[in-house]
Amino acid sequence: MGRRGNQAQADAAAPAPATAGAGAAFRSLTTGSLPRLSARRKQQFAGWLFLAPAIAYLLFAFALPVIYNVMLSFERTSPATIANFTAPFAGLDNYHAVFHDPTSRSAIVRTLEFTVLSLVFQFIIGFSLALLFSLRFPGRTFARSLIIVPWLLPLIVTGVIFRFLFQAEGGAVNQVLTNVGLVDHPIQWLNDPHLALWTILIGNIWLGIPFFTLLLYSALQDVPVEVKEAAVIDGASPWQRLRLIIVPIILPVIEVALLLGFVFTVKVFDLVIGLTGGGPANSTQLITTWSYNLSFQQFSFGQGAALNNVLLVLALICAPLYLWLSRGSLRTSRGEGR
Amino acid sequence: MTRLQKSRALQWLCTLAAAAALVIVLFPVYAIIVGSFESTETLFSGRFYWVPHEATLDNYRTVLQGGSATTQETVSGSQTGNVLTSLLVGLGTALLALVVAVPAAYALSKYRLRVTLVIVSSLLVAQIVPSIVLATSLFIIFHWIHLLNSYPGLILADGTYAIPFAILVLRAFFFSLPNELMDSARVDGASEWRTFRLVVIPIARSAIITVAVFAFLAGWGDFIFALTVLNGTGIQPITLGIYNYLGNYSTDWGAVMSSAVIALVPAAVMLMVAQRYIASGLTAGSVKG
Repeated sequence: MGRRGNQAQADAAAPAPATAGAGAAFRSLTTGSLPRLSARRKQQFAGWLFLAPAIAYLLFAFALPVIYNVMLSFERTSPATIANFTAPFAGLDNYHAVFHDPTSRSAIVRTLEFTVLSLVFQFIIGFSLALLFSLRFPGRTFARSLIIVPWLLPLIVTGVIFRFLFQAEGGAVNQVLTNVGLVDHPIQWLNDPHLALWTILIGNIWLGIPFFTLLLYSALQDVPVEVKEAAVIDGASPWQRLRLIIVPIILPVIEVALLLGFVFTVKVFDLVIGLTGGGPANSTQLITTWSYNLSFQQFSFGQGAALNNVLLVLALICAPLYLWLSRGSLRTSRGEGR
Repeated sequence: MTRLQKSRALQWLCTLAAAAALVIVLFPVYAIIVGSFESTETLFSGRFYWVPHEATLDNYRTVLQGGSATTQETVSGSQTGNVLTSLLVGLGTALLALVVAVPAAYALSKYRLRVTLVIVSSLLVAQIVPSIVLATSLFIIFHWIHLLNSYPGLILADGTYAIPFAILVLRAFFFSLPNELMDSARVDGASEWRTFRLVVIPIARSAIITVAVFAFLAGWGDFIFALTVLNGTGIQPITLGIYNYLGNYSTDWGAVMSSAVIALVPAAVMLMVAQRYIASGLTAGSVKG
């Protein structure tokens, strides 16, 4: 992200594309059909054509579903209304139902707790590994390439893996704990409502490590060597160098990493389904899984949509901040726009 | 100790730390690979073996031929068919992402369009929208326009993972191309389309491969849209096949784990074949999920 931002800013300084100047000679898409258009107009038209599929896709696959989800949350839905596209207006009934349903309420609170705890551990572990990988030692390239593995797995597979590891009988976690003498009888990780969320938390921390490690690692690579050397010459201790020099320089990347980490984690779904399925006794239902349950298992699409909107608001709180942090790439486009 | 020896020792300490981190990070994957080769008796013996106890290919044989001992009625078809389905969905998602994203990214970086700022902002925001929000609505919208239970429907939905990311990554790449490149083609009389096709695309090949790899993995690994817009029998990708093997009360571990291992084959292949593309994609500020 930092790299992209820097690159975009550097490009802003580069000369703007020549438009009218080089225009006379080229034949554009529109030659013939629209003979009187200027070269600049033709280029504009070509640009719009290149962009058209993406605009159509954004409208169809993002704008329409989000708007429809808002509509749905104000409708009195039933399995029979699905075929009709719209259902009778329900006012705030769905929101009322969601906020008075203990499972929905605890799912909202749990999602927030889960997200904050995940981020804290992902960041600490990811940053430590990024610092480790920025040192020189034998095998660092190899280690860095394998650290990506958790990222590449389908999330449902990650869920299944951790379900296997946390089984009470025959799970590797209990076996290790028993062998080193920490526990004398197997812990019911997945059957105890107080423990099951921890298995999801551990699974989620695991799968987020590559993202934090690689993003922060690439930011650390961008810290100028002279700055680091100057700090060493000035007699700064490693801890001082980290806290006073390196962290302030890579702060924008840290912010983006935490922000995107927050966004990934509030929408975790597959992992929970693969690991606990939301159980036992709904003790691991997050907003996403409970919303799925409301819509697709209880066929209460209106309430599912209302809960979705709670999630959407939580996620979109980050949008202005994300746009601001990505302002490097936005500024370039503003510079180009007319 | 001399200074040189000291720094050598420090280096090996780092190697040791990295090795420990790798063991922790890779152990879960190792565990299911081992588990997938265990016999049903071993899997239900209540003991975890660090290396395969009585290695067997039975689990793979069972899932690839279809059906499973305990949850047969819920599972439709074999994982062989499911693998083909997932391949098709992954390739479809990659193709859709390229068709939409490559020209769009080019337009957003090399043409002065009034909408550029709006579109780029929308793409950033689109990456934030949770898939469950889209899935709930798309289920009803697809029902309405008859795209439920179809490849085009699933691929259109899976594109939501890949397309905003692909456009943003490719756009950053296109910024690095000098404008003179396109201008010289234009001066030589090439149309905008020819310039794009014959000059821009060949140069962007590595960036295009990167986004195609990510889009493929997104389509291959998708579970939430498969669960929602494939409402029923018929098309079943491997992720849904794994889910169906997870019974409500008892899990057919042999089938689950061999399917899970099959599902991580493409990731492993990509890691080996397209390593440099993956690393560059990740650090381009990617968003997953």
